[in-house]
Amino acid sequence: MGEKMHRLGFRRVFSASKIHTGSWWLLALCLAIASGLTRNAFVLLAVIAFALAVIKFCRENAPWSRSISFYLRLGAFVIAVRLVFRLVFNFAGSAPNDVLFTLPSVSLSLGLGNQVVLFGDVSASSMLAALIDGLRLSAIIIAIGLANSLANPRKLLKSTPSALYEIATALSVAINLAPQLIASLQRVRRARGLRGGSSGLGSLRGIVIPVLEDTIEQSLQLAASMDARGFGRKGERGRGEILSARLAGFSAVALSGIGVYLLLAVTGSSALALGLLVGALGLGAFTVKLSSLRKTRSKFRRELWLPANWVIVAISAAVLGCALTGRFA
Amino acid sequence: MIKTKDLTLAYLDAESKLATENPVLSRVNVQLDAGEFVLVCGPTGSGKSSLLKALNGLVPHFTGGILTGELWLDGKDMTGSQPHDLAELVGYVNQQPEGSFVADTVIDEIAYGPEQLGIDPALIASRIDEVAERLGITNLLELPLASLSGGQQQRVAIAAALASGQKILLLDEPTSALDIVSAREVVALLRDLAHQHGMTVLLAEHRIGRVVGEVDSVLVVHGDGSVTKSAPSAAFNDDRFAPPIIELGLAMGWNPLPVAMKDAAALWAASPADFAPIVRDSKPGDVLLRATDLAVRYGATNAVLPTSLEIHSGEIVALMGENGSGKTSLLWALQGLGDVSGGVVEIKNHQSPSTWSDTKKLNNLARLAAINMVPQRAADLLFLNTVSEELAESDRFASVQEGTTGALLSAIAGRLNPSAHPRDLSAGQQLALVLAVQLAKGAQVLLLDEPTRGLDYSSKRKLAKQLQILREQGRGVLVASHDIEFVAMVADRVLVMQAGQIAESAPLEIALGCGAQLASQLAEISNAPQLITISQLVMR
Repeated sequence: MGEKMHRLGFRRVFSASKIHTGSWWLLALCLAIASGLTRNAFVLLAVIAFALAVIKFCRENAPWSRSISFYLRLGAFVIAVRLVFRLVFNFAGSAPNDVLFTLPSVSLSLGLGNQVVLFGDVSASSMLAALIDGLRLSAIIIAIGLANSLANPRKLLKSTPSALYEIATALSVAINLAPQLIASLQRVRRARGLRGGSSGLGSLRGIVIPVLEDTIEQSLQLAASMDARGFGRKGERGRGEILSARLAGFSAVALSGIGVYLLLAVTGSSALALGLLVGALGLGAFTVKLSSLRKTRSKFRRELWLPANWVIVAISAAVLGCALTGRFA
Repeated sequence: MIKTKDLTLAYLDAESKLATENPVLSRVNVQLDAGEFVLVCGPTGSGKSSLLKALNGLVPHFTGGILTGELWLDGKDMTGSQPHDLAELVGYVNQQPEGSFVADTVIDEIAYGPEQLGIDPALIASRIDEVAERLGITNLLELPLASLSGGQQQRVAIAAALASGQKILLLDEPTSALDIVSAREVVALLRDLAHQHGMTVLLAEHRIGRVVGEVDSVLVVHGDGSVTKSAPSAAFNDDRFAPPIIELGLAMGWNPLPVAMKDAAALWAASPADFAPIVRDSKPGDVLLRATDLAVRYGATNAVLPTSLEIHSGEIVALMGENGSGKTSLLWALQGLGDVSGGVVEIKNHQSPSTWSDTKKLNNLARLAAINMVPQRAADLLFLNTVSEELAESDRFASVQEGTTGALLSAIAGRLNPSAHPRDLSAGQQLALVLAVQLAKGAQVLLLDEPTRGLDYSSKRKLAKQLQILREQGRGVLVASHDIEFVAMVADRVLVMQAGQIAESAPLEIALGCGAQLASQLAEISNAPQLITISQLVMR
């Protein structure tokens, strides 16, 4: 059946590798922002369903495309943690009138004056709030999972501006080493079976040491191979230029951090948060531009921008538009 | 093209913070020309890799240590340059290509270097076409790297090292993981790069029997820090790394020493020596292990098709065959820790020799006591801080008298410094230690997977002696190996695997004899049936 579907042009046009890596990340970020801004359970469920459908439809047989099950489990875990926390700290003092069930309460005196009450009455509204909170976070996690399972991490390198190149390389190397780590773990565990011997902590040591040695050796080998081919060259840049780029970069990160906090925190003013985020984006773009001025690298075969990308961009824009204008509220 | 002046590399002493008194390289003065194909050889751990890395800045910038002296490349003083500053000039390839790949596909991997150097994309495209054609990988360009064979991957790694138009190529044991055919192809290719395209090619190798005849000169790294350059025929006065062709020439008293196979063959034909057939002191004894229809399947791939074999007491069996033919899977399946999808492995009970037990029904401990294995990376089994701790742990685990493992170790390898860290031992010493640890469990059948990787000829001879001691003790040994000359030294018979099946089972002198695909170097030179190793020669 898969074969048959494959011959349909539609599926081929939207297969993961035909779409620009940037488009997948754009879609993922817009879905994540929309999830962050809404408290509507139906919208959140729709976002999750949409992300999963896109992954199912577009993914190809690549090592990174199997990561979605990990994000799904993480999402479920987050919801469960939220619910459990709300059961434990349910602020029973607020006297809800929709008590669902009552757990035996525990009072703790922490010596801070007030008594802290754990468990006790559990209201439907508080559980619903917790569920939606958890759902929000899971939707964000799954949206990021979408980008991770569809976008080839190494291709992202090709479209990274040169200012971010070192960071992107570090990330791609880390992603690359993970499967190698698993392979050497399997190899060493089997070899340990040959030696036989103590179980528990002792055997853990027998596995960890060779695996660590292996991983460090491999990363060094890769780094040596990259360096020997010219990675790490710096263009001739003045001290002032480097300093101002760093300053702008740091401010951009700080501003976006505050912006995201205000956006996600219930109390913040969203107008201020948006302003901060826009400012951070501007600063970020400025940093990248500044650092990319002196070009020391070239790019062979940039990633192609096929027309199908516009569909992804349009969907992303629509999602973002609806989210920012409050249509998802 | 390359000139060094008093190049000296020393590591810092951990306590005194001063350079140690035994430098790895000491006052190296060599001069190499454009278009020269140079073999770098020397005993295990002598500093071959360090010498290569010192020529492109990886030493000391990646490895630490103090490098003094001068380095001139292409007429310019490059002393102290970083690897990335030398990238246009020097290409570097190491022994595991898959560990140095940055990209997914062949074409992106080759483009990586030129991209880093800021070469114009249009020019990169023409460079890629050029190197791909030179290395015969034009039809592979769009393929994912993971789908290539070892030999193809090594070609891609060489192409990637040359794509920016480098004039110097350094290769650190590029053929050590390749089977014999791919290894020969890579060497022929390197010779063409030097002789037809004017590159200076430095090749560090252990298996040099078939390389010495191809190169223009030999750099010998002696291990005491000194490095000498000489013509191939004059380089080998040290039998720690002299290949069979040189040993033969020395034994025959040929002067000058022939280094090319055809020269040696002509000299042999003119005056052949007498030789004795291979004599075995004792006939192999009873069957110790028998496998019936043993098969291994990973998903849809058949790694080992139903295979039956027997290992006798007092014999050494070699398991040969190309990369990916199923040797490693078969060994692990025989031991019982690996995947098995069908068939039975039985071993003779030590106490009551007429009964057999199915290894599946034994627990791990009992199985290890009957059939044990030394895997490809022996060091995976070592995890304690000193040799003596490893020995004590082994005695404790095997519940044998204290000192048993130590006695086994000294029987096969002499004494090792008991306070040495196992990771500081040479590859040969690590192997001996693991061998002793595994033997302490009392196994009558021992399996070894590619034990000679990274060993020089003298370490290989030592290992051969160790295995012969085991044979005399009446144990059965199965050793998987690519290494024809090593197999010629130790084995009684040879099994050849092909696509998951044992395609051939023959006595040593047939399997490695003249005319066979796996002919030993001496068999090929002498073209004499039954003659495969130097030890058979009878000198008057």
